Amino acid sequence: MVSKKAKWVAPVALASIVGLTACGGGSSSSDDKAAADTENGPITFSLFSADSNNNWANMQDEVGKKITEKTGVTLNAEYAVGGDTQKVSLMIASGEYPDLIMPKGDTTKLVEADALVDLTDLIDKYAPNIKKLYENDMNRLKFSKEDPSIYIIPTYSGVGQTSFDAGGGFELQLEVLKELGYPEIRTLDDYEKALKEYYAKNPTINGQPTIPLSLNADDWKIMIGVTNPAFLATGLPDNGEFYINPETYEAQLHYKRPEEKEYFRWLNKMYNEGLLDKETFTQKSDQYLAKISSGRVLGTINQEWDYSEAENTLKASSDKTMQNRIFGHFPVTLNTEYKDHSFMDVGFPGGYGIGITTNLSEAEQIRAIKFLDWMASEEGQVLNNWGIEGEQYKVENGKRVIPQEVQDRKTSDNAAFTKETGIGMYTLMSPHYGDGVKDSTDNYYTTNFPEQIQAAYTQPEKDALKEYGAQTWKDIFPPADELGTSPWGAAYNLPAPTDPSYTVGFQKSQDIVRKRIPEAILASPDKFDGIFDGMIEELNAADIVAMEKMFTQQIKNTVELYEGK
Amino acid sequence: METLTPGGASNNKPGAPAADATAGKRFKKQSFWRTALQQKYLYLMSLPFVIWAFVFSYLPLWGWTMAFQDFKPARGFFDQKWVGFKHFQELFTDDRFYLALRNTLAMSVMGLLVGFVVPIFFAILLNELRGMVFKRFVQTVSYLPHFVSWVVVAGIVTKMLSTQGGAINELLVGLHIIKEPIQFMAQGNWFWYIVTASDVWKEMGWNTIIYLAAITGIDPELYEASRVDGASRYRQMWHITLPGIRTTISVLFIMSIGHLIQIGFEKQMLLGNNLVLEYSQVLELYALQYGLQMGRFSYGTAISIFNSVVSLILLFTVNGIFKKVSKESIM
Repeated sequence: MVSKKAKWVAPVALASIVGLTACGGGSSSSDDKAAADTENGPITFSLFSADSNNNWANMQDEVGKKITEKTGVTLNAEYAVGGDTQKVSLMIASGEYPDLIMPKGDTTKLVEADALVDLTDLIDKYAPNIKKLYENDMNRLKFSKEDPSIYIIPTYSGVGQTSFDAGGGFELQLEVLKELGYPEIRTLDDYEKALKEYYAKNPTINGQPTIPLSLNADDWKIMIGVTNPAFLATGLPDNGEFYINPETYEAQLHYKRPEEKEYFRWLNKMYNEGLLDKETFTQKSDQYLAKISSGRVLGTINQEWDYSEAENTLKASSDKTMQNRIFGHFPVTLNTEYKDHSFMDVGFPGGYGIGITTNLSEAEQIRAIKFLDWMASEEGQVLNNWGIEGEQYKVENGKRVIPQEVQDRKTSDNAAFTKETGIGMYTLMSPHYGDGVKDSTDNYYTTNFPEQIQAAYTQPEKDALKEYGAQTWKDIFPPADELGTSPWGAAYNLPAPTDPSYTVGFQKSQDIVRKRIPEAILASPDKFDGIFDGMIEELNAADIVAMEKMFTQQIKNTVELYEGK
Repeated sequence: METLTPGGASNNKPGAPAADATAGKRFKKQSFWRTALQQKYLYLMSLPFVIWAFVFSYLPLWGWTMAFQDFKPARGFFDQKWVGFKHFQELFTDDRFYLALRNTLAMSVMGLLVGFVVPIFFAILLNELRGMVFKRFVQTVSYLPHFVSWVVVAGIVTKMLSTQGGAINELLVGLHIIKEPIQFMAQGNWFWYIVTASDVWKEMGWNTIIYLAAITGIDPELYEASRVDGASRYRQMWHITLPGIRTTISVLFIMSIGHLIQIGFEKQMLLGNNLVLEYSQVLELYALQYGLQMGRFSYGTAISIFNSVVSLILLFTVNGIFKKVSKESIM
């Protein structure tokens, strides 16, 4: 019965796996890096990204091949699955890092583990393109007031970005708009009325019950689909989970604002009137997407990147009315006193991006920064955004144009198109200009510019926009010059403190919010106040307030850093 | 262990003269090495497993030191800051920890009771079946879910319990037992039952196999004799089949007690949602969220040590009780 004894040892072993790997340590440098010294010899870099990417084709796509041809670099990339947050922690515990890393919110952890290389000198010496790209924003690349090193090149945002299209706000089906004669959608009342009217006339769609409003509240997406709209509807820009007082820089959890309670009360009302999908808080993301692809969800409140997959199915449908069941975007607020702040100018937001780890020798680090610098060159950016001349775009009279058949594939068969061509796949890892910036040939760097965006709309979208007298959805939203600026950029993009008293306080607040807000919305209207006020009381616990204070300090430091003091 | 060294002490006959005591001791000592030599191939064969157990089960215990430090990665062992029981104090003063502990114990005790009784019952029933083809068929069908991943099972369960076209709600409404579809997945206090029920569905058939094997080992003469004595089918089950597999039952029971606190977290994570968090948070999820995901390696280790210690205590207690009551034990 010896093996039985081992039975209880196994759990003990499991318990300490973290311990074992911590002792392991090690290096994973491979032989092919020996070629690092030669200027353009073939070299392979490993890369980890905390975002998922279903289209990665091991650089066997057309753009990828071109990149390898030009720089000699092949990337061996690993993309996280879902919202994987433990991967980076595990890397730190084992001490085994990839060569290049895109850690999203986990930058601070890596910095504390001394895993990231300070890029300041490397950029200065070897990366003229990157230097030129960020010449006005160098302060925003620095890590913190105490440690002004540059660890991450913020590739998630484009420099000089002007958004030409809206992907957020409140979404309403084009079919609903059409049937109701394109009414004005500006306040929650307008929005609710439109849903109600259409629902009353069409209780079923294609034989299945109509769902007037469905939200995605699965795991962390509850922030995108349920809590973020509360500040959007009450006229605030996105600062993550915080409201930041523009004068005192005092940070507090945004749900504590009394205005937002009214937004949640509205959701409660929608639920009790049977307009809000009963499964909103129990469904998983894929169920939510399946409902949208079935065309029977009249409205949702979300960001387009979260549901575009489902919309693509509708766009590709052969049924004309189904093509009309995609969503338009509206700047809906509680009442007309508030303005949607989606398009506030926050300056160059910095934030998430790509870094080089200590896994690489000095010579290899130089190769890596040169690779990133090539990606930041005009040639590299045009390749990443437009593809290969003569294949995915043509130059006519000095203007880059996308042939109609390429555009059609891009619109209706996006995933396969990306996989094959690699267009857009490398943007997230490359330092780049944003939409609306022109290159030396007076062409836009990206393919997102007004004419191109309009060309990419489907016919039903074009029809709807025409009725609203707009060229793009953005035209319906309040423009940036009405909305002021933000000296700290966008708080959701700042590295969060890793001190346990902050992280634990924050996690606690999230546990409370994610439980109580759904509970309040699903309660009968007379119980709403009790539950919601109870939540605010829980959120006023000492450790949560201390956490807010720490974030206030972070904001103050950031403002000083950005102003270069 | 004794069965492995049959030579040993038994060579000392009870009647041996007392004067031989010292010689006997030497003899004993020699005899260990002698038997070891005799059985060198047996020892050699077990060596890889001893090494395996040492490397994977004992060596990692070194990592427990982390729980007593403010562990920072990429720093040498001697550069770590030692903090004594700080992390344990923090753990034992956190309400969430007790909540997670309650949920863990509740779900594992429920799972243990149901997941234990049902397979035994099922095995006995299967054993009574006479049609061989039908028996094999039922057995295969019932253990197939074991090979389905929890991700898929969670999908099936959520779909079945859905308010929009979920089979269970349709059935209940159709039979006029309820008027409105029930939101099963939104009811915190039902979560434990849903987890237990899906666990039974998934693992019942698989757990039956070992009991069926044990039943096969019962001497058929016993059944024949009892039939001659006029025992009915029920009597045979009660007096022969059940006692026949008693040893198997108790060994498996003691072992599952050892796992009581380690019930994994896949089920809870996949079936749970924000609404039922108060009932779905289990210790391993807690360790993941408040330990690893925040980079608090020390805190996570402290939770794991607590788990292991509780498991050990439970195991030894139950084993001790069984030893006293039924003279059966696994150690």
